[in-house]
Amino acid sequence: MENDQDILIRCLSVTKQYKKGENLVTPLDTLDLDIPRGDFLAMMGPSGSGKTTLLNLLSGIDQPTSGSIEVDGVAIHALSRRALAAWRARQVGYIFQLYHLVPVLTAFENVELPLLLDDLKRRERREKVEAALSLVGLSDRMHHFPRELSGGQEQRVAIARALVADPPLLVADEPTGDLDRESADAILGLLQTLSREQGKTIVMVTHDPKAAGAASRTLHLEKGQLLEAVS
Amino acid sequence: MTPKAAFNLIPLAAKQLLRHRVRTLLTVLGIAAGMFLYALVESMQTAVSRTTAVQASDVTLVVYRENRYCPSTSRLPLYYEDEIRRIPGVREVIPIQITVNNCGASLDIVTFRGVPPRQLARFAPEIQVTEGSREDWERTDDGALIGENFAARRGLKPGDAFEAAGVRVTISGILTSPNLQDNDVAYVHLPFLQQASRRGLGEVTQFNVRVEDPAHLEEVAAAIDATFKTAEEPTHTQPEKAFFAQAARELIELTGFTRWIGLGAVIAVLGLVANAVLLVVRTRIRENAVLQTLGYPDSAIAWLVLLEGLLLGLAGGLIGAGSAMGFLAISRITFGNEGQVMSITPDPGLFLSGLLLALVLGGLASTYPAWMAVRRPIVESLRT
Ligand SMILES: Nc1ncnc2c1ncn2[C@@H]1O[C@H](COP(=O)(O)OP(=O)(O)OP(=O)(O)O)[C@@H](O)[C@H]1O
Ligand SMILES: [Mg+2]
Repeated sequence: MENDQDILIRCLSVTKQYKKGENLVTPLDTLDLDIPRGDFLAMMGPSGSGKTTLLNLLSGIDQPTSGSIEVDGVAIHALSRRALAAWRARQVGYIFQLYHLVPVLTAFENVELPLLLDDLKRRERREKVEAALSLVGLSDRMHHFPRELSGGQEQRVAIARALVADPPLLVADEPTGDLDRESADAILGLLQTLSREQGKTIVMVTHDPKAAGAASRTLHLEKGQLLEAVS
Repeated sequence: MTPKAAFNLIPLAAKQLLRHRVRTLLTVLGIAAGMFLYALVESMQTAVSRTTAVQASDVTLVVYRENRYCPSTSRLPLYYEDEIRRIPGVREVIPIQITVNNCGASLDIVTFRGVPPRQLARFAPEIQVTEGSREDWERTDDGALIGENFAARRGLKPGDAFEAAGVRVTISGILTSPNLQDNDVAYVHLPFLQQASRRGLGEVTQFNVRVEDPAHLEEVAAAIDATFKTAEEPTHTQPEKAFFAQAARELIELTGFTRWIGLGAVIAVLGLVANAVLLVVRTRIRENAVLQTLGYPDSAIAWLVLLEGLLLGLAGGLIGAGSAMGFLAISRITFGNEGQVMSITPDPGLFLSGLLLALVLGGLASTYPAWMAVRRPIVESLRT
């Protein structure tokens, strides 16, 4: 954190407020956070502490009420809706707890989704999709539909989808929350590999201390503020 | 979104439609029914304007007994022929006796036109005999030269005999003509028809007149009526299509009314597509938010929704307009009134415009759902 060059994400006094009827909820309150490039960060905290809210801000699907978020030098809090969509397509892969695959599409077609927006040739798309699926170990399930896959396999397809456009940042919201221990360990191992071998920066929200253990460090979010865990 | 991206999304939209097979099928059938009605109504309207709208190039006049609107009451002396021929601007004239099986409005009219056989080729050189032979017809007293639409409707061919309105004829040939009326009638020998229908030998129903110059159509008509103004049987002369328009006024009013059916069909299609696509958008709120998370811009999400409407319209239009054309080709509906006939025929131009309209309706109906799909904040949609 000494060297600015190594910082991928810099949040400065980020506040996010929601209106809930008459009340104002403030899940994030003047929060500061630096995430170095290549970091595998686990984020824990009680339910409703604003973990998902923070991930949404980092991944550019939501914008802070005040404060600034810079990712790789881009002030994403100031981008237009349209510019933000283009930015997401290149810079972030989002992994959901419930995978959120499109049920009418095969594993291959689901992973292909982010590439449809690019001016790639069909063959180039196929190569990238096959590479991503092979990376998550699902080369033999390419033409299966989500309903024909196990939860762990579905999540691996979702990771391949998040990876296929080769974004530097991956965010994952409780990616193992719906999986049995064995599948969860496989997913965590995969994320570790991506962090180590591909240099991906990963921000992972989890309730599971064992999952957090897979990360290189853990932050605790409480009452809109971050506390570094001492392990 | 680039054009290539827009193209890449088409299979995705198609797969989404097939996700709810029954719903999609029902919607497509509904659109098809609407477009079927629309195409039929439009075909009828086209037939009416084709047979009644006088064009600048028209050269045919019909001379009729004044104030007599039905072939059975219009009687003109045969000797008028020579007098009409002498009027300046007249190129050719032919006496015609009309006998119809039904003098009111009807869907299946048989119209006999009795003419001096050797005069027909001179009066109407555009008539071509496609089956059988003209010489054969000229030689055969009870021979008939029938229009191709009429032949197809009744399944008649040369050598066949048929009877209508108490007149029995043998078919000598099938004719085709750019003059639409010809394609629906049966030309027979004038003396034969006069005898068979027990009308006076020296009398005909009308004279058809060809003028030298289409610009003088009205002038020549006025000159003819002026000639017979004080005669025992005064005449009323008008362009052939105007004659039809007048003779079939009620019919035309009736078909004019069907425009509302066409409009109703169009509105029903709009509602149907809008409802189907709106339902799709509602059930796919989170899925669209996931696509947005992957970096899909609003334009791509809206395009996906629009595509589903367009594909529904395309499928419904193909089936609806296509089956309307097939229906017309098979049934060859012919409207007739007082001896004038109007065929409703399939028209590729109309098929294409029906298809285009279905596409436009599909697109139009999904603009609101498309807007709905991109209006919500992504995080809110993900939380549903
Ligand atoms: N779109 C929204 N509109 C209104 N309130 C919201 C919205 N999103 C989040 N909140 C509120 O903000 C607070 C933080 O929510 P968030 O989803 O970030 O919590 P979380 O830490 O992810 O919790 P969990 O562990 O249960 O997933 C909650 O009180 C939630 O109700
Ligand atoms: Mg959460």
